[in-house]
Amino acid sequence: MLRELVEQMAKALVDNPDRVQVSEIEGEQTSVIELKVAKEDLGKVIGKQGRTARAMRTILGAASTKLNKRAVLEIIE
Amino acid sequence: MSVIEIEEKSVEDAIKVACEKLKLPREMLEIEIISKGSSGIFGIVGVKKAKIRVKLKAPSYETAAEKAKEILTKILEYVNLPTVVEAEARQDHVYLNIISNGSGLLIGKKGQTLSALQYLVSRMISKEFGQNIPIVVDTENYRARREKTLQELAKQLSKKVKKAKKPIATGPMSAQDRRIIHLTLKDDPSVRTKSKGEGNMRRVVIYPVKTAGRNQKNNGRRQNR
Repeated sequence: MLRELVEQMAKALVDNPDRVQVSEIEGEQTSVIELKVAKEDLGKVIGKQGRTARAMRTILGAASTKLNKRAVLEIIE
Repeated sequence: MSVIEIEEKSVEDAIKVACEKLKLPREMLEIEIISKGSSGIFGIVGVKKAKIRVKLKAPSYETAAEKAKEILTKILEYVNLPTVVEAEARQDHVYLNIISNGSGLLIGKKGQTLSALQYLVSRMISKEFGQNIPIVVDTENYRARREKTLQELAKQLSKKVKKAKKPIATGPMSAQDRRIIHLTLKDDPSVRTKSKGEGNMRRVVIYPVKTAGRNQKNNGRRQNR
């Protein structure tokens, strides 16, 4: 669920949607969502001053609250 | 979608090439003629090619509204919450309203989550259409309620400023919120407003405007705009 959410958001932001990879490492309480995109798209998912990344984290936070979980979004270079 | 430039023998030829290249009918394109070109004298001396600049025409807000609704619905599908999105093309922006079960989940602290959604949808739409289209995401009438609260706050603060004759600052606020404060006090001649601070810490400071009599005495200390 959370993995798909991040994937959906990232794919709509980048120029190379087929190179978006998202994996979820599930913990007991906390999930870590790892987002990998093409190098030239890195700026697109981070945004000016990290604004896009922050927005994605906020939405991820809201979605995980609903599931009584915590989720951390990591953007992997 | 970017701007392209095409050089051909004549303007007509150039337009034809542009349509073929972009696979779009002429009506969808905004064409700017840079040089008309000339065939020169007997087609030998001074032959100049025609040059045009081609851009995609601005999409209508209706089209953008449909697309934005689709994008937002897709994102919300993965948030475990039953939601319906309504889209409306308004005069100067696209308005998206999320109908949900009334929990504040999608609003978040100080509207954080709502702002995040709005920002992301704007980014996705601007990527889709190649230009910025103003988008407002709302739920449970939050935007209108927030505006009312902020107007109320602005009025109270200005009263305080007038009484104390000292500047007072609001708490840190987003650009949208600050805008409402500025607009509310715009027509009040006895105070003036200015945004101060950097990034997330930007806030509105409300200054009293000194009346004519006192002005001379304090001239040297007047705040710069």
